Amino acid sequence: MNIPKFEYAQPRSSAEACQLLAARGTEAHVIAGGTDLVMALKNRQKIAKLLVDLGSIGGLNEISYSEPEGLKIGALVTLRHLASSGVVQQNYPMLVEAALAVGTMQLQAMGTVGGNLCQDTCCMYFNRSDAVRQSLEPCHKLGGDVCHVVNCSEDCWATYAGDLAPAFLVLGAKIRIADVGGEQTVPLTELFSGDGKQPYTLRPGQFITELSVPSPAPLSGGAYLKLRPRETLDYALLGVAVNLTMEADNEICKNAALALTAVDKAPLLLEEAKQLNGKKLTEELVGEVGRAAREKSQPIKSLYGFTVDYRREMIPVYVEMAIEQARQRATA
Amino acid sequence: MQKTIRLNVNHESQGLLVSPHQMLLDVLRDQLGLTGTKKGCDIGACGACTVIIDGEPALSCLTLAIRCEQKVITTIEGLAENGQLHPLQQLAIEHGAVQCGYCTPGWLLSAKVLLDRGSVPTREEVRAAIAGNLCRCTGYQKIEECILAAAETIREVKQQENHNECGVILESCDNLAVQTI
Repeated sequence: MNIPKFEYAQPRSSAEACQLLAARGTEAHVIAGGTDLVMALKNRQKIAKLLVDLGSIGGLNEISYSEPEGLKIGALVTLRHLASSGVVQQNYPMLVEAALAVGTMQLQAMGTVGGNLCQDTCCMYFNRSDAVRQSLEPCHKLGGDVCHVVNCSEDCWATYAGDLAPAFLVLGAKIRIADVGGEQTVPLTELFSGDGKQPYTLRPGQFITELSVPSPAPLSGGAYLKLRPRETLDYALLGVAVNLTMEADNEICKNAALALTAVDKAPLLLEEAKQLNGKKLTEELVGEVGRAAREKSQPIKSLYGFTVDYRREMIPVYVEMAIEQARQRATA
Repeated sequence: MQKTIRLNVNHESQGLLVSPHQMLLDVLRDQLGLTGTKKGCDIGACGACTVIIDGEPALSCLTLAIRCEQKVITTIEGLAENGQLHPLQQLAIEHGAVQCGYCTPGWLLSAKVLLDRGSVPTREEVRAAIAGNLCRCTGYQKIEECILAAAETIREVKQQENHNECGVILESCDNLAVQTI
């Protein structure tokens, strides 16, 4: 499958990359691991006139950890590198689970942390081959004005299905964004626009250089669970990340965070999890949070695998399982 | 805009003129004639095009050739050394782990990455390692058996080498660290 020709640049610094990107606007794309982008270029979901290779910028593929600053992950760290890092395995087992839940071993070795966060949204029309898509008129995401998944919708309903985002969200991660005017650090929550068509708030000329995650609190633990038809390769049809901090008595929850992926246009960090704070994790209370998560989610039909109803019903089940796993890790 | 890149493929240094939009898979097959690397889905979903780049498994159908400057690449043609089949290849034959053969180069290289880490993998680890290599004949069972047997063979060979090195023959010794002492 050929890709239309494009120019290719290897900047030596983030500042140079930003200038190249800003000068070419939407016709320029950054390439990190390339797994999401190259597939999109082959499928004609994206057109690039210029690819700016972030691999030529030094220092973006390192992991460091210190107390009390926490974890710093270069945007170009591969998922396989993340999952095999000793400090990550020891302090953030949830991140290992999330990284190993992505695609396959090959995609984990190629794909990067920054690239996974910026994975494009998908739907059963947009992610078909170019030939199949041409049988219908272009959708919102391809520059048209229809949605083939939610009839008569004036918005694009493409779903965000990245695996790392919910895990990083419940860990309170921040991202460092390079811009022509310098770098700035913002909470990860600000990365997602909630628009299926343009899922990120990054402007032309901006890209992520680093993620930072606070040190884990004492008596805290997390878990990430993913629902998909096959135990490999497939995008999430539901992903649940939970991070819990327990009180010293191991009974009362001090702080809870819950995030879902693959059920809306952006990953959902649910405020409802705060209902658990200061309370004992009873079946009834956990069930209530699970049902609240189900109400907040808006899954759309997927191309393969499970029905929307099944996925919705699985939300409370997965929330409960993830909370239980996180609790066990927090109190271990 | 074309660019000359230098890369090492199967222990041979190669200079190639490539365009930015060319995929490593096409360059390997069409420019270097290394047609053992297969083109399956061509969008990173089947693993038939798996090669090893700098010790890591990679899908050559999603890898831009121009990004491979100075990389060390192993394709299926480089798995056998000095005319001697790799244990994975030999055991694939013995276990009948090859049916139509289209996925074979890909999973052999995925398995090589797994075995190169040095320890004998569990069956679950083998499954995870080859989960990105779809076999359209669904012959996974024999592939798993082959990889587990190859891991055992490599361990035995290493153990033997280690014995020879230190000149001590131990009747039963599973701990390599102890042997080298």
